[in-house]
Amino acid sequence: MGSSSGQPEFDYLFKVLLIGDSGVGKSSLLLSFTSNTFDDLSPTIGVDFKVKYLTIGEKKLKLAIWDTAGQERFRTLTSSYYRGAQGIIMVYDVTRRDTFTNLSDIWAKEIDLYSTNQDCIKMLVGNKVDKESERAVSKKEGIDFAREYGCLFLECSAKTRVNVEQCFEELVLKILETPSLTAEGSSGGKKNIFKQNPAQTSSASSSYCCSS
Amino acid sequence: MLSRSRITDEDHPLSQGKASVWNTYFQDIETIEQIDKDVKRTHPDIPFFSAESSFARSNQESMKNILLVFAKLNQGIRYVQGMNEILAPIFYVFRNDPDEDSSSHAEADAFFCFVELLSGFRDFYCQQLDNSVVGIRSAITRLSQLVRKHDEELWRHLEITTKVNPQFYAFRWITLLLTQEFSFFDCLHIWDALLSDPEGPLESLLGICCAMLVLVRRRLIAGDFTSNMKLLQHYPTTNISHLLYVANKLRSKMLL
Repeated sequence: MGSSSGQPEFDYLFKVLLIGDSGVGKSSLLLSFTSNTFDDLSPTIGVDFKVKYLTIGEKKLKLAIWDTAGQERFRTLTSSYYRGAQGIIMVYDVTRRDTFTNLSDIWAKEIDLYSTNQDCIKMLVGNKVDKESERAVSKKEGIDFAREYGCLFLECSAKTRVNVEQCFEELVLKILETPSLTAEGSSGGKKNIFKQNPAQTSSASSSYCCSS
Repeated sequence: MLSRSRITDEDHPLSQGKASVWNTYFQDIETIEQIDKDVKRTHPDIPFFSAESSFARSNQESMKNILLVFAKLNQGIRYVQGMNEILAPIFYVFRNDPDEDSSSHAEADAFFCFVELLSGFRDFYCQQLDNSVVGIRSAITRLSQLVRKHDEELWRHLEITTKVNPQFYAFRWITLLLTQEFSFFDCLHIWDALLSDPEGPLESLLGICCAMLVLVRRRLIAGDFTSNMKLLQHYPTTNISHLLYVANKLRSKMLL
């Protein structure tokens, strides 16, 4: 499986999952992030998979982003996509209130049910802030929800690209701060020097805090 | 629209009862909104479906009617995303019939054929049947077995070595009858083969899916999880006649 050079082209591989109601803009958000474009997209059927390379600080990261279908019919199938995710982004549409109320009614429960990762980082994202006049969910409500469920929070627009990169970067930064997650995400799992790092530092966790 | 007299005193807007006229009404509104949104997103690059013209608008209206009537008649499934993709080629062909008398009945004709086609595929849209022998999972398993029977090495590399669960790509291939994998006009070509197959569209479809894997075999065998996922979720442009030829050959080989 390894590249012939023997040197992995990234330090960490993280799996990130996008969930939320149909039509809130999960695929658009991802497209905006990975290729800087905005388009009318057809509904996602099943799951879509994209990869994005990021450099944060000195670390090279490979993000494997799973973009799931929002419609209820697909939910039994999406359950398997939660497995091993280090980050989960819950997306709602700030102009459609039901997509926000469904977060606690449906999506937060889905995470509890299917996420295999105790420390998995969750992020709440309110999309479509470019339609400010149609807003149906206030920023305060988003913040309150995030506080209650222990998630990060941002409002963004896949269309204008406001805050799009921040959504992913803040999530990744938080993952990088979580030793159990960086241990899992170390590249290759075999030959990477970073692999031992979190385990070693666990005996001296203070040094970890200083280094970041 | 609701006629006032049909609503009994016991019925009210918050009723969740199956027989509640109000409940049906709100459910319908939800379905209509979903269909509306998806029809607008169907082939945004093809003027027939999405130009700013009265022609495209009337085509969208017809497609919405068909999907809504289907949803109303099939309460167990209603509308599932992706049905718009299945309907599009059918409606396109009928609406473009050079005979005007025929094309003027495109909506009714397309509805009939859509129902007919989905009678063989609708179980794939039904969540309750996901784990049954007629559901989508079993169709995906059949594809996987077909690949294994035909090319054990390829199957092993995909599913065991690189851990590409066939559900990750074949779910869409099968439920959408390949409409999102190829250009619209290549799809019409593939559907010609699917719909004229004496063994039925599903057998034909599974054969074509298997051939798709075989055609990119070398790249798959050389690939890891990421590159294989990318390849199978964004299948490269292919000579369709050749693809169908390989699919046919593969099937006749299986029968021996």
